[in-house]
Amino acid sequence: MLAENISSKSSDSQSRSLKQWLRQAFTPTRLLDLLPIFILGIVLALLALYVPTFFNSRNIVNIFVQASTLGLMAIGMTAVMVGGGMDLSIPSVMALSAIFGAMRMEAGGSILESCLIMLVVGCVAGCINGYAVAYLKMIPFVVTLAMMTIASGTAIWITNSVSVPVVNEEFFSIILDRIFDIPRPILIMVVMVVIATIAFKRTMIGRWLYAAGTNAKTARVSGIPVDRVIFGTYVLSGFFAGLTAIILSARLGAASANLGNDGVVLDIVSSAVVGGVSIYGGVGSPLGAVLGAIFMTVISNSMNMMQVSFFTGLIIKGIVIITFVAIDSLKKR
Amino acid sequence: MTAQTQTTVPTDSNWIRLRNFILQHGFNIVLIFVLLFYSLSAPRFLTSANLISLLHAAAPMMIIAAGLALVVMTGKLDISVGSVAFLTSSIGTILMVRNGFDPLLTLVIVLVIGLLIGMLNGFLVVVLKISPLIATLGTMISLRGVGLELTRSTTISLPEDIRRLGNLTVGSVFVDSLIALAVLVIIHIVVTRTPFGRWLIAIGNGEETAARLGIRTRQVTYLSFILSSLLATLGGIVTVIQVGAASPSIGSGLEFTAVSVIVIGGISLFGGEGSILPGALRGVLILEIIRNGLNHLGADPYAYRFVNGAIIFIAMYADSLRARLPVTPRTSESSKPSKST
Amino acid sequence: MATPYLEMRGIVKRFPGVQAVKGVDLQAYAGEALALIGANGAGKSTLMNILGGVLRPDEGEIQIAGKRVEIHSPLQATANGIAFVHQEMAMLPTMTIMENIHVSSFPTRGGLIDRQSMERSTQAVLDRVGCQFAPNTRVQYLSTGDRQMVEIARALLSKPSIIIFDEPTSSLTSREKARLFDVIRSLKADGVTIIYITHFLDEIFDICDRATVMRGGEHAGSGLLKDLTIPALVHWMIGDLDMTQHAKKEVSQSTEVVLKVRNLNRRGILQDINLTLHKGEVVGLWGLLGSGRTEVARAIVGLDPIDAGQIEVNVGGSLRLVKAREAHKWIGMVTEDRRNEGLLLPMSVKQNMSLANLRGLLTRWKLVDTRRETALAQQFVERLNIVISRLGQPVQTLSGGNQQKVVVGRWLELNPPIFFMDEPTRGLDVGAKADIRDIIFELAESGAAILLISSEIEDIMALAQRYVIMHRGQIIGELPGSATRSDLMAAAVGAVPTAETGVTA
Repeated sequence: MLAENISSKSSDSQSRSLKQWLRQAFTPTRLLDLLPIFILGIVLALLALYVPTFFNSRNIVNIFVQASTLGLMAIGMTAVMVGGGMDLSIPSVMALSAIFGAMRMEAGGSILESCLIMLVVGCVAGCINGYAVAYLKMIPFVVTLAMMTIASGTAIWITNSVSVPVVNEEFFSIILDRIFDIPRPILIMVVMVVIATIAFKRTMIGRWLYAAGTNAKTARVSGIPVDRVIFGTYVLSGFFAGLTAIILSARLGAASANLGNDGVVLDIVSSAVVGGVSIYGGVGSPLGAVLGAIFMTVISNSMNMMQVSFFTGLIIKGIVIITFVAIDSLKKR
Repeated sequence: MTAQTQTTVPTDSNWIRLRNFILQHGFNIVLIFVLLFYSLSAPRFLTSANLISLLHAAAPMMIIAAGLALVVMTGKLDISVGSVAFLTSSIGTILMVRNGFDPLLTLVIVLVIGLLIGMLNGFLVVVLKISPLIATLGTMISLRGVGLELTRSTTISLPEDIRRLGNLTVGSVFVDSLIALAVLVIIHIVVTRTPFGRWLIAIGNGEETAARLGIRTRQVTYLSFILSSLLATLGGIVTVIQVGAASPSIGSGLEFTAVSVIVIGGISLFGGEGSILPGALRGVLILEIIRNGLNHLGADPYAYRFVNGAIIFIAMYADSLRARLPVTPRTSESSKPSKST
Repeated sequence: MATPYLEMRGIVKRFPGVQAVKGVDLQAYAGEALALIGANGAGKSTLMNILGGVLRPDEGEIQIAGKRVEIHSPLQATANGIAFVHQEMAMLPTMTIMENIHVSSFPTRGGLIDRQSMERSTQAVLDRVGCQFAPNTRVQYLSTGDRQMVEIARALLSKPSIIIFDEPTSSLTSREKARLFDVIRSLKADGVTIIYITHFLDEIFDICDRATVMRGGEHAGSGLLKDLTIPALVHWMIGDLDMTQHAKKEVSQSTEVVLKVRNLNRRGILQDINLTLHKGEVVGLWGLLGSGRTEVARAIVGLDPIDAGQIEVNVGGSLRLVKAREAHKWIGMVTEDRRNEGLLLPMSVKQNMSLANLRGLLTRWKLVDTRRETALAQQFVERLNIVISRLGQPVQTLSGGNQQKVVVGRWLELNPPIFFMDEPTRGLDVGAKADIRDIIFELAESGAAILLISSEIEDIMALAQRYVIMHRGQIIGELPGSATRSDLMAAAVGAVPTAETGVTA
């Protein structure tokens, strides 16, 4: 009888399905979701008009390479933000692990060894952040602020603010070579997006993460180990910081404390927020964050090419963040 | 009427008492140890000349931290203070140097701009209900951009007669130290003795409870952001006069130092707890003393940021421990009049 | 004594869809305490919110000291000498007592808070409630009982002639309760009119002079307490329905123990809880709001910390000692707070239903099998008769009844041997209620053990095969499934028939 009920309803609705579909497709929330694409369209149109060189393939590849490191860090940030947290320490941890790795390489360490060091440093920092937030119930913002200060302090201290050169052609070629004419950093980013998307959307822990970020109480009542999941997000963001360190140290041929300056945090947060990751937790996807990173890179790159000053760029970034968070809080209501 | 209770007074073990004592007075203890250590190991540390220069160097941060403390007491954050300090002081410098404005008029204009920025922050947080962290993150970036654009990212020297203000002293103490201390005293009185100040604390205890008790939480929060911005402006002015020029490095990373000061000063980021005197003052002094002492010891200046981070971490850990500490309920008999902050 | 000090006449209050108060009269005399009692939803809170200026009546008038008054806001209520001591305290822990008392309007002099006058007036009201602590003690150092006193002191600040107490003793220890009663007596002696809202019938005989009983938004009876007994009050509260025995579906009971809880303690909240659940039975955990019934359930699954106690779960035929958090693996938990603890509101029906059972949905590659997830969700949507447009519909757009079925469905997917159901029918319409009851019955029939907590006597009577009675954080006895409505009502207020269990309140 129940089944009949349901099926009769669905046949009923077939006649109005188009209307319904339209209504569903263009709810206010949907329109807000589409806003970034809309803005991107305008930006691209402007570029086509004023800076035709923007669209040459070299520049496009260049943008994607730039976006790849930002995008990887944004994936880490997405994990943390979906869980309802915030990780300000990603760039400085990234810089610190790059420095450790570069120093090891300078001292004659193997490539594998150096890369492992970078990943481990990132994960250790993530563990400390995660332990403080998940188990000691400290405020994420401040925990990671402290970690940011400590990591960048250590980075400055051990390098005396001098950059550590990385001169290892083999390392460069492993990380930077092209496959099918596409630089490996881009491929790494693509692979990571795919893995992260599956991990977030299809694994049990990924699903737990969304539940914990949406409503930690409900998640607890449903038997989900919320603390462990939250801990894991910070470790993951530390891991991505380490991974970014590998790519960036190869790309720049050096590691320095300046890799993780304060401005990078803002770019990561902006990427995530523009990509639809909610700062209230529970909403967002790795793909979105990476698209956000590309968006942010396009904006900075295009402003460079339009000869808008770096500073006006900052103003625009600030406005972008506020706008998208305002949209986020609008949606929340 | 007899309404006395005879609840057994909980007898804490010595260990717990020690722990509580350390949690309550942790940073005073640290401060004392640091002072002792420095005065023993660096003979020039404990000279009046050094202490005066220490107060001089700490003056801008005292003012800025006092303002930020007001916002933090409500349980919110304003991380745009560094950019506000930079932007407003740059505008002031430009008005005087390039447009030849009168210094007093400039001061008024700059303060009005600070006020407007505070209103913007308040608007974003209170009216648009954007999370304070992100709202002020956005204004932090944008305002720094505006400032860098206006100054073309160059250093602009102040006129000579203004620059001289930076070395003005009363007796042997710098005027800006006195201004900073005056600001701390005034804000302390605002927090402890005015309804507005107490409402800040009340909101920090719980916004809903405060609203239920008839407090106009929105207006109070709005005002706290305005004051924070105004004091950041004042802090920026003092910095520029000290340095003698508006430079792009002013206020950069300052928001993070200011938050550290707040945390070290025992002002809880959960809101509702903390004081300007001695809290915020103590926070500024601890950071400044450590920096100053490391200098005198000839320590690696690059280690400073690391030490700074470690201190924030410890302070924050203590804060979260305090927040989770089960408060032993006292009975009517055993309760002593406790100091009201 | 001839004319009442406060008189409410013909008060009517309608809410969309319901008439909460249907023309109620109420009289209270100066220097007397009036007990206002009634079951949940009887309309007593609505009536008092009208008096306190929180709600405006649709009809009726209020007279104080023989004069008609208009009360349109809490401020006007205060101006008319009415003070309200709410059940939920509004305390600011890091602030001092005097600040807590004065926070909505600080006395000022020249812009600064006048501490002397604040301290003086605070001391005066603290003296009146018999508190010895200094006005500048921080509230965080006070016990719950002391805070309640501060709350009352705050109400006294406006020198009210009428004070409404809403469930003031629900979180107090018996010693604190005695102290509260002393205060109320002294207020009565000063000629203040007290209106005392409570569930606890036993205590009103100590402190009140008169009682007014409400039932279903109507005035059910009034009288002097010295002429009344608990059964008489219970009769007014629940009416004549008592005689009709409920037809109860009987489930064949097994003697196999699936959950055994021993000496569960949580300081100040639960005391020596012993509880046993058998396979295939529905146990009604019965008691008043605040008696600790919800807390028992939460403590067993580890959602609240415990200080002591042992929990054993039947795993594969034998009892095994488990930690509280571990016990959650075998217990499906439906909490009373559906929106905040039961659901992921913005997420889809499907995701809400699979939440507890993701481990069971993993494929060989450790990925969530979305096809099976969908199929299972569909299966339970049909079985539970959940009305949705599609499985991807966000649960926040569903009606209360369908939302509750989603929560239940989540646990059915996991299919644990034990269910805790806390207020599973709260806020549901009649049809949905009946559906939930059927589900619970079916669960028991299929062998699950169910601990049912409900304020709705109809539900619990229709389902429970035995009742465990809770009162003030303790289990004070048991009643068999055949217990009558008045047995239960009496038991809830602490009067357990001694013959059954040998336990007295």
